[in-house]
Amino acid sequence: MIAIQVASIIASFVVFFELADDDVVDPDAVAKMMEELAAELETLDKGFLRELIDAFAIVAEEDSGKVKEVVRNIPYRFYLEEALAADDPVRLAELEAIRDARD
Amino acid sequence: MDEIQGQMGRRAFVGWLRTGRSPAGRIDRVELKFNPWHDPDDGRFTFAGTGRRFGTGGADPADQISGRASGIFGRPSIGDRNRPRIPATPKVQAPRAQQRVGNDAGVIDRRPAIVPLKVVPGLRLVNQSNPVTEFVGGAGRELRDLANETVTGVRSALTTNPVTTVRNAALGIAGMIDAGIAADDVPARVQISRAADALANASARDIGRAGAYVVGNAALTLAPGAALSKVSALRGLRKARLRPTYDPPEIGWAKETLDRDKPWAAYNDAAPGAQAGQAPTLKRKLPNGLERAVKFDGVQGDYVIDRKWKIVDAPHARAQLLRQSEVLRRHNVIGTWEVPDQKQRMKALMLFKKMNVTNIKVRVVKP
Repeated sequence: MIAIQVASIIASFVVFFELADDDVVDPDAVAKMMEELAAELETLDKGFLRELIDAFAIVAEEDSGKVKEVVRNIPYRFYLEEALAADDPVRLAELEAIRDARD
Repeated sequence: MDEIQGQMGRRAFVGWLRTGRSPAGRIDRVELKFNPWHDPDDGRFTFAGTGRRFGTGGADPADQISGRASGIFGRPSIGDRNRPRIPATPKVQAPRAQQRVGNDAGVIDRRPAIVPLKVVPGLRLVNQSNPVTEFVGGAGRELRDLANETVTGVRSALTTNPVTTVRNAALGIAGMIDAGIAADDVPARVQISRAADALANASARDIGRAGAYVVGNAALTLAPGAALSKVSALRGLRKARLRPTYDPPEIGWAKETLDRDKPWAAYNDAAPGAQAGQAPTLKRKLPNGLERAVKFDGVQGDYVIDRKWKIVDAPHARAQLLRQSEVLRRHNVIGTWEVPDQKQRMKALMLFKKMNVTNIKVRVVKP
């Protein structure tokens, strides 16, 4: 349950920074802030990170359109699945293939 | 009198340059300079049997086997294998002559052989002392001086004697090009381009001043012909690439927001040339004509550095990458992303590939 709440908080900030106009927030500051968020997320306990990744999909259903897309893609954009599979080269290779196929 | 003697000497020297034969009247008839063997890649002299044989100057295999050129430039004769060969600058896969063994001993095999690059510890590969290269270097210096004189000579010939203009121009230009080719390759390129510029700029003016319009046209027609006749030789020279020089980028500084005391904040602050609370910036021009700063983390010489603790593959990150690439291109500089480990480096490289960014490099800098 707490994972969903944390996911919701993170989603709100990510949506704001991601969709803010350049005149509202300095785009370089946004990039820096996102890098720091990625670093913080990767330091989370692996079990909790797993719950959080799953929670983003649940939270995304509360939104629609572009916002929904941004929230649902948070694990992908921040390499969270790769962080979980850091010690599993097979899974890492699979994720890399998925990433290549997606773009 | 001195001028006549100087002209005769210069002609004799140019003749020697082009044919390798001493001027008529020389008693000893010993050929002091001719080596038909050149490296087809860079045009430099090679040992007999290596590289490619050019010209018809009499250095046929029979002459070589007879040891005609024995001892010249410290080169042992073919039959004298006991004397140590002075090593030339090693080359990978340089074609070398091989001596067949068994029944064919003593017959020179012209098939190219792959010679592995041997690295002698403590020995610089590019600056080994070699009589041949020393000769070429020494001759090159002399010949460059000759080329300068030839340019001056051609100019004076064009202004003083219209009757001999064409012949002198051809002689002078050909000799000058020969001199340029014979000289060391880099100065030769410079020399040839300078000489060509000098001729292009001076000939028409001087010819016009002399009033010899017809002769002038003939000379201008002949001059490119003389140069073109050397194209095959010039092709051996590597193309001179003029590297454009740009003014150093105008680095601005923008105020940065304060960070928490986290490893990534310390990492970003430790970028080369970073200043506390300030971020180096380059100006980017927006489509509406306005300029906006693009921030980096550090600057090292002409390189701007952006440190990334974590790579994020999100729209804002891609947009930042494109902004940086664009502003770097505008300022003719190359950017560098510094990341803390190999994983982040691989992510960055994938991102560059996706976004087709080639003017930003990425390297691992441990925190």
